[in-house]
Amino acid sequence: MISRIARKEFTELVRDGRFRVLGAAVLALSVLSLAVGWKSYQDLSAQHRSAQAATRDQWLRQEKKNPHSAAHYGMYAFKPKSQLAMIDTGVDPYVGVAVWMEAHRQNDFKFRPAQDRTAVQRFGEMTGAEVLQVLLPLFIVLMTFAAFAGEREQGTLRQLLATGVRGRDLALGKALGIGWALSLVLVPATIAAAIAFALSSGAGLLAGDPVRIGLLVVSYLVYFVALTAIALAVSARVRSSRIALVALLSFWFANSVVAPRLASDIAAWLHPTPSAVEFQKAMDADLNDRTGVERRLERRRAELFQRYGVDQVDALPIAFSGISLQEGEEHANEVFDRHWGALFTRYEQQNRVTQLAAAVSPMLAVRALSMGLAGTDFAQHRHFTSAAESYRRDIQRILNGDIAMNQKRGQVYLADHTLWEQVPEFIYEAPPASWVLGHHTIAIGMLALWMAAACAWMVREAGRSRVE
Amino acid sequence: MMFRRILLHEWRTLAADATVWVVGGVFAVAIGYGLWNGVRWTAFQEQALAAARAEEDERYTRLNAQLVELAQPGAKISPFADPRNPSAFGGRLGPRYAALPPAPLAPLSIGQSDLLPYYVKVSTDARENIVSATEIENPSRLQAGRFDLTFVIIYLYPLLILALCYNMLSAEKEQGTLAMVLSQPVALGTLASGKVVLRAGVVIGLVLALSAAAMAAAGVDLGAPGAAARFALWAGAVTAYGLFWFGLALLVASFGRGSTTNATVLATAWLVLVVMTPSLFNLVATGIYPVPSRVELVQATREAAEEANKAGSQVLARYYDDHPELATGDPDQAMTDFNIVRVAVNDDVERRVRPLVQRYESQVAAQQAMIDRLQFLSPAILMQNALNDVAGTGTARHRHFMAQVDAFHATWRGHFVPLIFAKRTVDSVAAVPSFTFDEEPMAALAGRVAAGLAGLALPAVILVGVGLRRLGGYPIVG
Repeated sequence: MISRIARKEFTELVRDGRFRVLGAAVLALSVLSLAVGWKSYQDLSAQHRSAQAATRDQWLRQEKKNPHSAAHYGMYAFKPKSQLAMIDTGVDPYVGVAVWMEAHRQNDFKFRPAQDRTAVQRFGEMTGAEVLQVLLPLFIVLMTFAAFAGEREQGTLRQLLATGVRGRDLALGKALGIGWALSLVLVPATIAAAIAFALSSGAGLLAGDPVRIGLLVVSYLVYFVALTAIALAVSARVRSSRIALVALLSFWFANSVVAPRLASDIAAWLHPTPSAVEFQKAMDADLNDRTGVERRLERRRAELFQRYGVDQVDALPIAFSGISLQEGEEHANEVFDRHWGALFTRYEQQNRVTQLAAAVSPMLAVRALSMGLAGTDFAQHRHFTSAAESYRRDIQRILNGDIAMNQKRGQVYLADHTLWEQVPEFIYEAPPASWVLGHHTIAIGMLALWMAAACAWMVREAGRSRVE
Repeated sequence: MMFRRILLHEWRTLAADATVWVVGGVFAVAIGYGLWNGVRWTAFQEQALAAARAEEDERYTRLNAQLVELAQPGAKISPFADPRNPSAFGGRLGPRYAALPPAPLAPLSIGQSDLLPYYVKVSTDARENIVSATEIENPSRLQAGRFDLTFVIIYLYPLLILALCYNMLSAEKEQGTLAMVLSQPVALGTLASGKVVLRAGVVIGLVLALSAAAMAAAGVDLGAPGAAARFALWAGAVTAYGLFWFGLALLVASFGRGSTTNATVLATAWLVLVVMTPSLFNLVATGIYPVPSRVELVQATREAAEEANKAGSQVLARYYDDHPELATGDPDQAMTDFNIVRVAVNDDVERRVRPLVQRYESQVAAQQAMIDRLQFLSPAILMQNALNDVAGTGTARHRHFMAQVDAFHATWRGHFVPLIFAKRTVDSVAAVPSFTFDEEPMAALAGRVAAGLAGLALPAVILVGVGLRRLGGYPIVG
């Protein structure tokens, strides 16, 4: 019975000219956004890879110089593009692409791509994610709103229920039929995405990560199931198809257009961030506080005196300048961890509020999950930031250690390429999918909750649907 | 007379409808909230600028005290921290902020002001290093956008209009009252005009009045220079945008279809014009004129710096060729002066990467030019540009600011570089140049906004004209 209802619903939908036009439009937009996403991924990932190789090359090519000069020369870390950014660019346009890793400072990422765009960018990017999160839900609403209400208006609902079919089966059949029709758009779009992945250079971040892709597909399917169930429930509950349409369109608007802005406003209101001037000022004050460094140096000096059995710096077999540079770094690292850590934690608190707001807007949950799985959310930007920063600290440790070992009193010490080669290459590995899921437990919970509640509501409303 | 009666009747019908009041109430709350959001953001910016000023003042007081102290015989300081050294002062010690203060009506639209830097610390350092510093903001928040008044106007306001108009004729027809009304000596055109005029008057008047009231309540000063003119432009844009949607509703009504069809058509038009076209145009513009990643610039700058450093003396020799007025001292000795060589090296690096920087700028300019043409197909983009312009949070005013930053950067270098070359010292902070922002001329702003207004008003007039004309063939019955 269910399959028969599904077939009827499906046939009716695909015979409808409006469905065909809308479906074709959604499919065309998906393919177009994929094509542009693919092209930009190809270009950008190649640019980032070659830049990363070049910065390494420059590091190795350095002439003879004091290790601390090399530390000041530093290196750049360039954020690798995630292959899944083809579908969901996430916050990528709004975070810098490069960070300078130099002595004494944890720098900010510079050059946000959105600054090299026009203001129209702020309407939102037409990515695969935008199609899936904004347009497809609308498509679902338009396909579903009349499912019950329309039949009721035509009087066919009475006949249908007279056959003894249970409301639950009816709803299930209709949902399956709609899903079937939807798959006419989704399956080709997914195949197009698979082709785009296959045709893109394999060396990118997260390239061909089947777990993430699979989870991404599941997340969106769960979202669509929830939306279909909500739409069917509304259609079964309200009197006329017109009211169903108005109610569902209002929900769509609030969910897809208003909620992201409102949630982010509330999040920023609950967890405000400082201005760059204030942030820098507070951090500089801590960095310039010499007492912390002096204390560290005192302790280190005493330690070394004891280990080598001497009572003055000049008698040490190692160069104290290297030790003192490293202690300066250690002090600064604590300051950076405190200040940058607090700021990034603020961002994450804000993002958690946005995820919690998914309690009233399921789109917020699927958006967060989609960005997370695509590797383009803030949490993964922070992951990269931490990797780059810990690499910077490794460089400083290696170079300062070399100064301590090799610098001789009263001599100019110059290191050569053997030291530069001791600094390992910077290789970044994206966190596994399980890490992403761990960072999005709220979103996952909300999405599951929405699906369960929506399905339960649909069954309930279908079961007591009035025939007129 | 008849027209007035129609207006009065329509007013009574609307006022008796509870939904109208609910929708109006929601809209009023949205306007108030949007403006409040803008006010908070403007206050945040002003606070940041005040913090920057305070930081600079504090630093300058300290530098001045140091200069006075160092003028005493026997005073000593590390050469890196010596404010008398023009290289140190112009570089690390004495940078000054160039600030873009929020325009008088900034709370009306947050625009690009959360993304583009509104203060930069100007020193003798390379331009790209100076301008790449940005305000702190959660990237997820930049991505989501803000719920400001512009959002309410661009997205919600058309929906309000369409909700009031989609069935203005079709409902009467479906209830059977249309034929009765038209049996009186009144033309359908007059009736439809009356309905549109009343609704337009109420909605547009409501939006303007509520916004003005919210601004007054939020303490936005309309007496500030230029504020009244800006508000007039804003009101003009809001009116033209509203008329566009009223015109569209009238045209759709003139086809004589049922309420449901009208609603579907209008909702689709809203979706296409407000949600889809802007993103689609952005996709096309960035697809046709892609901006390469800035990583290339970072790498090229480093490459250029390496080469310039290697060729230090030649670079300096060329610098002297370009700036013979600076060759005051002994050129051979200058070759060994670190600070002098650095000026020449920096200059050389900038010259080398200039073509690359221009490529970024020209790609963005090409995108902008394309959008500037395409915007006439999208009332939402026209509106975004107009509202951002009026609030001073658009790209044009920011470009105007950046041009002044570049000029100030040149002045700054023009002040310190001759001191470095002549091996003179900085004796007092009084002569150090400082930055004041010159507001862009009102005429330029008005010109841009007027073009946008025309782009909205012309289609509105055409829509109304065609709509009224088509009403002649309206199927009053059946």
